[in-house]
Amino acid sequence: MLKKRIGSFGIILIIALIFIFLPFVYNNQSFLFNMMLYIALAEGLNIIYGFTGYLPFGYVGFFGAGAYSASLAILFLHFPPLLSIFIGGAGAFLVGIILMPLLKLSGAYFAIANLAASQALYYIVANPNLESITHGPYGISLASIYNPHASYYTMLAVLVLSMIIVLFIRTSNFGLSLLAIKEDHITASLAGVNVAKARAIAWGLSAFVAGLSGACFAWYVSVFYPGTVFSLNISVIVIVFALFGGIGTIAGPLVGALILYSFYNFIGISAPEYFQLLYGILIIVLVLFLPDGITSILQKRKIYVP
Amino acid sequence: MFEYTVLAGIMYGLYFGLVGIGLNLIFGVMRMINLAHGDFIMLGAFLAYWLFHLFGINPLIAIAISCVVFLFLGIAFYYIFVPRLLQSKDPEMLSFILFFGLSQVIEAIIILSFGNNQRSVPSSTFGHSTFSILGNRFPISWLIVTIVAILVFIAVYWYFYHTKLGYATRAIMASRDESLVSGINVNRVSAFAFSIGLILASIAGIFSFFMIGAAYPSMGTNLTVISFAIIVLGALGNPMGTIIGGLIYGLAIMFMQTYLSSWSNLLPYLLLIAIMLFKPEGLIGKTVRSA
Amino acid sequence: MFKLRSLFFSSLMFILIFSATSTFGKSIPSVIKIGTLYASTGPFAKASESQFKGLKFWVHNVNSKGGVFVKAFKKKIPIKLVAYNDQSSTATAAAMYNQLITQDHANILVADFGSVLTSVAVPLAKEHRRLLFDVTGTGAKFFTPDNPYVVLTSLPTSGRWPYTLADFIIKHKINKIAIIYSSNDFDQSQAITLHNKLRKAGVDIVYYNAVPSSTSNYAVLLHSIKAKNPNAVIEFGYPNNDIAFLQNLGSSGLKFNMVFTVFPGQLFKLLKSNVGEQGLAYTYTYPTPPLLRYNKVNLGVGIDEFELAFKAYSGKSPNFLNVAGYNVGLIIKKTLETANRYNQLSFRRAIGKFSGKVFTLNGLFMVNKKGAQIGEILPIAQFVMKDSKLKMNIVYPEKMKTADAVYPAP
Repeated sequence: MLKKRIGSFGIILIIALIFIFLPFVYNNQSFLFNMMLYIALAEGLNIIYGFTGYLPFGYVGFFGAGAYSASLAILFLHFPPLLSIFIGGAGAFLVGIILMPLLKLSGAYFAIANLAASQALYYIVANPNLESITHGPYGISLASIYNPHASYYTMLAVLVLSMIIVLFIRTSNFGLSLLAIKEDHITASLAGVNVAKARAIAWGLSAFVAGLSGACFAWYVSVFYPGTVFSLNISVIVIVFALFGGIGTIAGPLVGALILYSFYNFIGISAPEYFQLLYGILIIVLVLFLPDGITSILQKRKIYVP
Repeated sequence: MFEYTVLAGIMYGLYFGLVGIGLNLIFGVMRMINLAHGDFIMLGAFLAYWLFHLFGINPLIAIAISCVVFLFLGIAFYYIFVPRLLQSKDPEMLSFILFFGLSQVIEAIIILSFGNNQRSVPSSTFGHSTFSILGNRFPISWLIVTIVAILVFIAVYWYFYHTKLGYATRAIMASRDESLVSGINVNRVSAFAFSIGLILASIAGIFSFFMIGAAYPSMGTNLTVISFAIIVLGALGNPMGTIIGGLIYGLAIMFMQTYLSSWSNLLPYLLLIAIMLFKPEGLIGKTVRSA
Repeated sequence: MFKLRSLFFSSLMFILIFSATSTFGKSIPSVIKIGTLYASTGPFAKASESQFKGLKFWVHNVNSKGGVFVKAFKKKIPIKLVAYNDQSSTATAAAMYNQLITQDHANILVADFGSVLTSVAVPLAKEHRRLLFDVTGTGAKFFTPDNPYVVLTSLPTSGRWPYTLADFIIKHKINKIAIIYSSNDFDQSQAITLHNKLRKAGVDIVYYNAVPSSTSNYAVLLHSIKAKNPNAVIEFGYPNNDIAFLQNLGSSGLKFNMVFTVFPGQLFKLLKSNVGEQGLAYTYTYPTPPLLRYNKVNLGVGIDEFELAFKAYSGKSPNFLNVAGYNVGLIIKKTLETANRYNQLSFRRAIGKFSGKVFTLNGLFMVNKKGAQIGEILPIAQFVMKDSKLKMNIVYPEKMKTADAVYPAP
């Protein structure tokens, strides 16, 4: 266990170092930021999907909730940015608690209900009647605190945090009990695992990570519309990234996001007109031929994937 | 105004029953959510558009053509994707992603071949006249769409309860494993049912011009999400329940538009969540599905 | 340790200085790189592609004449257009704008269509001190006094759009107005402006409601509006909304004395093919080029000539966004011809110099200190049936008028 932990820490450290120094040699910071964002989100999704089997199709709801909670903290309470980022995470966590009853549902039912919840949240935030609070359809402008470098490194901290959370879950008894629940929740509860509590913790952590990421995104872009941070595409992209790498590990979502987001930008730049077509074909091929993600190739050879 | 809203809600709702029923049929038979459902509706709309503008074919005749087209398309898609998918660990979840990929491909192909323009079959196809119920006047196209929707529902019912294939389909919906044991050719029946699901979606697409405005390549996603809401409102996995879901959706939207217009698109989602939490089997469903 | 750090920083400084001199050096570039984005899919695809095509047409034109004259180098230099596909996604757009700035070192940055896709470019351009040529991003919050790095080239900010519409209604003493708008930045700001102006003038507003931008069926809404018995119905929406609204109006059998929608004046062919001539007859709109015919220009070609050339180039007659995309090219050309030095701030100063003096096929180009467009005005036009063909008349303001408004509509 200890050895595995150290190995995983090594990966986290390498990733952190890469993203600290990469901006000095490669200056498309937005690309690097988005890369970190998608890795963090894929890891966050991994917490709930990889370890409990609940597919949060409306994961973007937490992302948007985080972006808006942080922005409102900045605009109305005049909190400093870092505190506001935390408020973003807390706001998403709160939404997670409100949506806790959804965990009663299983499989596709949960996925759909979660999707509906994220859309409902979007329509509430974007509603013109709430303009005095959320700015309604006008969107948010955080121009006064715009700071791409500070927000870049804050995003890096969130990324590291998300990976540490996954590391902790993967190598702790808590993680084992989650996997036991995923396998068979009745047997697990007979064996003394508090099923409801374990699921709730994973759910809350997952929401928290998405909220922090959303808050960083808000700070980084500084001007956004409700449709930007509640776009269903974010959910879908993150799910595809996590699956591509392989869920239930730290390395899976990381590798998935690194490869696919690079690929995504590569087609966007080199073959823009076939962007969507190639992406769709890639997803289909992936599901048909590599349903457990690319890290499963190693796992099948009995190689441990952190 | 109240009367008008109710009547419009019923007609609109029956149409939305038609929009959702194909998705529900496929879910019932295969336990898979066809995330490309809305894109098949879009394909139906584009088919109707081209038939109308190139050959002057009336949308009512386009139904027959789309039945043939989507029957073959459905069977082909089924055999390419589904058997392989069923062997995987978690077909329910993976199919989600696969159909998302498919929806991207369909949308991209349509854009690459036809561009991004909105397209319409003019509502004057069925004449400019209106008809009135209880003193409320409605466009004649609404009446035609309503009649088509009702006929489709009758046909689906007849298929389920009065044909051999329909019995087999219901058996698979009840239990895929038992059907396998009892000697039903599950793949063949499922492939046919999948095709029917696509045909139903395409019929909804053919009439989309008269109920939900112009057609365009990216209209699918939104329709898929609305269809979700509708089938959950009715009963997931029970196609006939979709009619109820559609009616509730139609009435709810029309009432919200009349009395609280800016909140109107929030309602279906709130309804959906509420029903999921308090009556997860749907309004008329029987089996409880909770973890 | 200390040595290592100083080594690191000195090498860093070296890299920074080196890259700075290499990018901003005095050497004459072999091409002028214009970087822009477009969306081939998603909600903005149709509009974005039209705008992009207009810009491409301009590039094609200048390059066939050997490029554009750059005053700072006293030389003609060809244009190279670098364009990426953002798929209507703002997150993708942010990375792609950054790509244009930092990797491709685009000399001129042109925004994608509309406020949503322009929004992420504004802070990036400011951060990297690159002048953003904003073509159609009319959101008011992009234009702030502390940001010299943005210029809106085509349309006034959306809050200003209904100025003439309000005057028209007040002047013609039309009372009892219904306003229905889609809840997004672009439409809501118009609705609020119109609402306030009419209220101030004592005009009775009998219906004032927002609907979601995804609304695709207006049948019941139209009956709710009819129940209030207004003389004029003003609908502010995106193209999808306007199409659905006019289609539903046509098939409902309802009649109003005046109906106004936004997009027939911008995307006339699209609206006509979806709604039909009957559906547009006697409705009002904001006309834009090519419906508005500006032929007396002092920069580029007039609309007649443009229409012919564009048709020869692309096989299709141009729409407004083609004109807007072409127009930004003209402004870029004028900027390079005017700026004494080849850097972003002198580009901005050059624009300040010719602002208000340049008249293109898109109308008067005039920006305020914040970079927002104030030169163009949006007149009011009405479609009428003449010899069973659809014809457009400009009915307001007086000095542009080609015919009197047919009010009430027959």
